[in-house]
Amino acid sequence: MSPTLAARAAILTKLDAGSSASGGAIRAESFPRDYVRHGSLDADARVAKMIERLREYDAEVAECAPENLAFEIAAQLGRSGRKTFVAPAGVPREWLAAGFDWKIDGDLDTEEIEHCDGVLTACFCGVADSGTIVLHHSAAEGRRVISLLPDWHLCVLRASQIVETLPEYFDRCPEIPALVTWISGPSATADIEMTRIKGVHGPRFLNVVVVKEQGIGNRD
Amino acid sequence: MSHAPQPILDPALAPPFPQAALPMLRDPQLRKNVAHATDVIQAKRARLVAEKPDWQALRASASRIRDEALEHLAAYLEQFEARCMERGGVVHWAADAAEARAIILGILREENASEVIKIKTMTSAEIRLNPYLQAAGVKVFETDLAEIILQLGELEPSHIVVPALHVNRSQVREIFARSMGLSDLSDDPQALTAAARHYLRRKFLEIPTAISGANFLIAETGAVAVVESEGNGRMCLTLPRTLITLAGIEKVLPRYSDLEVMLQLLARSATGERMNPYTSLWTGVTPGDGPQRFHVVLLDNGRSAIRAREKERQTLRCIRCGACMNACPVYRQTGGHAYGSVYPGPIGAILTPQLSGMQHAQSLPFASSLCGVCYEVCPVKINIPEILIDLRAQVTNQERGKAARFLDPMYLGMRVANVLFSRSWLFHAAQWMGRIGLGVFTRKDGWIHSLPSIAAKWTQTRDLRGLPQQTFHSWWKQRKQGSR
Repeated sequence: MSPTLAARAAILTKLDAGSSASGGAIRAESFPRDYVRHGSLDADARVAKMIERLREYDAEVAECAPENLAFEIAAQLGRSGRKTFVAPAGVPREWLAAGFDWKIDGDLDTEEIEHCDGVLTACFCGVADSGTIVLHHSAAEGRRVISLLPDWHLCVLRASQIVETLPEYFDRCPEIPALVTWISGPSATADIEMTRIKGVHGPRFLNVVVVKEQGIGNRD
Repeated sequence: MSHAPQPILDPALAPPFPQAALPMLRDPQLRKNVAHATDVIQAKRARLVAEKPDWQALRASASRIRDEALEHLAAYLEQFEARCMERGGVVHWAADAAEARAIILGILREENASEVIKIKTMTSAEIRLNPYLQAAGVKVFETDLAEIILQLGELEPSHIVVPALHVNRSQVREIFARSMGLSDLSDDPQALTAAARHYLRRKFLEIPTAISGANFLIAETGAVAVVESEGNGRMCLTLPRTLITLAGIEKVLPRYSDLEVMLQLLARSATGERMNPYTSLWTGVTPGDGPQRFHVVLLDNGRSAIRAREKERQTLRCIRCGACMNACPVYRQTGGHAYGSVYPGPIGAILTPQLSGMQHAQSLPFASSLCGVCYEVCPVKINIPEILIDLRAQVTNQERGKAARFLDPMYLGMRVANVLFSRSWLFHAAQWMGRIGLGVFTRKDGWIHSLPSIAAKWTQTRDLRGLPQQTFHSWWKQRKQGSR
């Protein structure tokens, strides 16, 4: 028996000795989950809260109607003063504004991605309670590396993708994803005297375009 | 920079807490740094906890989820192992620190790795992985900002979430300027952070092997989750060819959806943020995305023994948020180094003696005022004071067995007290004598400032109020007579 297998057997024996379970079968225990599952805000207030919380953690937020999305993306790219952008193969073609250099990721080399000035992706969900964007790294959200190396991340979030509470995100998962990244603001540290510094190794700038579709979020 | 000798964070070698705390208490800069950092985190945490009306319900559910995982730990670990391997991961088991170190070095040898990048992991500090790898010729690069400060400054961690909180900006400037060759570096945190980014960028892109810890292992899917702020974690989890994750066996959660509770509690408790900037979750190996070789090392190192003890088992609920140390009136005075372990503060005071065997760290269960604030702030409701008292009893029982204790004045005093307190007439007589005896030492202000012999241990650090002229008993008797 290899050392790690011997350790495995020894550890599992010790754990079984102190367990009330029999035969290793797991029966899920039921216990109260009295925390807030479903939010109480209406759609407009939910979107407003998402935007407020994103801004509180130093993300830049723009809002637009669905028909203006391509225009808004182009405006954001232009205002960033950057030239070369990477985007995953699954984003709609009309997002790839003319006048910029686009690298479409499938299996781009790490160095090629490192030399991009920014990245454009979709996302799976937004959680208003904490201003969190959730990526499942689907074809329109891209591989993990493309939303990591470029210094500037532009993320498109549809109002219908915004939930109020974290449990509501879990309710929305059609199946359990294999890869997930929860992003709350640009990268940050408070390791030196608890002073919050924006931008360490991940993107130093997070820009979010909130698409107010089906009239959601247009109250004001 | 203070030139105090390096603290010893090995429970087998560290001096007892009261002795180890002395140099810390005499270092005003260190105390100022610790007080500032813990004040800032506590204020942020309190504000964010207050905005969650369901905070107590989240705590209750979190403690039940952790208990469920610990109750069926063997089954959940086997489930995690099976799922992780189905997805291309390799799972190793290590009974102790030495086995875990050997497994990790073995993988690095197979990979021909002479360098490795590393995400902050307290578990690796627990098994003293870095010195072991360095001695074996593997160059280790820590990538968390606080860990870089400690590694380049050759300092020891003093907190589990903010390990360099005892170091201030000018000390960081000095360390970075010296080791990165940047003589004109300013002490602005922004500039210091930028220096760290520059120092690490090429290493992230070029070193093909990484080591991480784990915040959570998901039994249901075989996934691993890492919670961080800077993006150094994402770099290490995404760019290398090979990833090795070291995780204590207690880190398992039964289900993916259990994160809906844990992620709401962890960042708020740890850093006073609604959510930390980045949380990554991955399942085995994903073709085309991230490391294509993935190893998990499951470490016991004393955890299964803690689990076997009924009252102490809750120690393993811990999700390493550090809220107990930020709130602890003892930690806030001494900082982390006095605890002689990589796990300081209240959680360290119960975890260290149990992990390292009760023959070590015997002073730690006494390094507490039992005020209970650690229990109050704990997101998974570990009743730390209850465990401290239980560990104190274990230490005392061990000591009681030793023959030499029969002549110990403390032991004799306790025996005498036992006799006095169990007979009321003796107790009243003792009170009467005590009033006369202590009266000699009581000053005009009603306080006793110093006592002789063994009692001096009390008065050397605090005053004692003189006994009142009347006991409660006699006052009650008098009052009853008066009202009749």
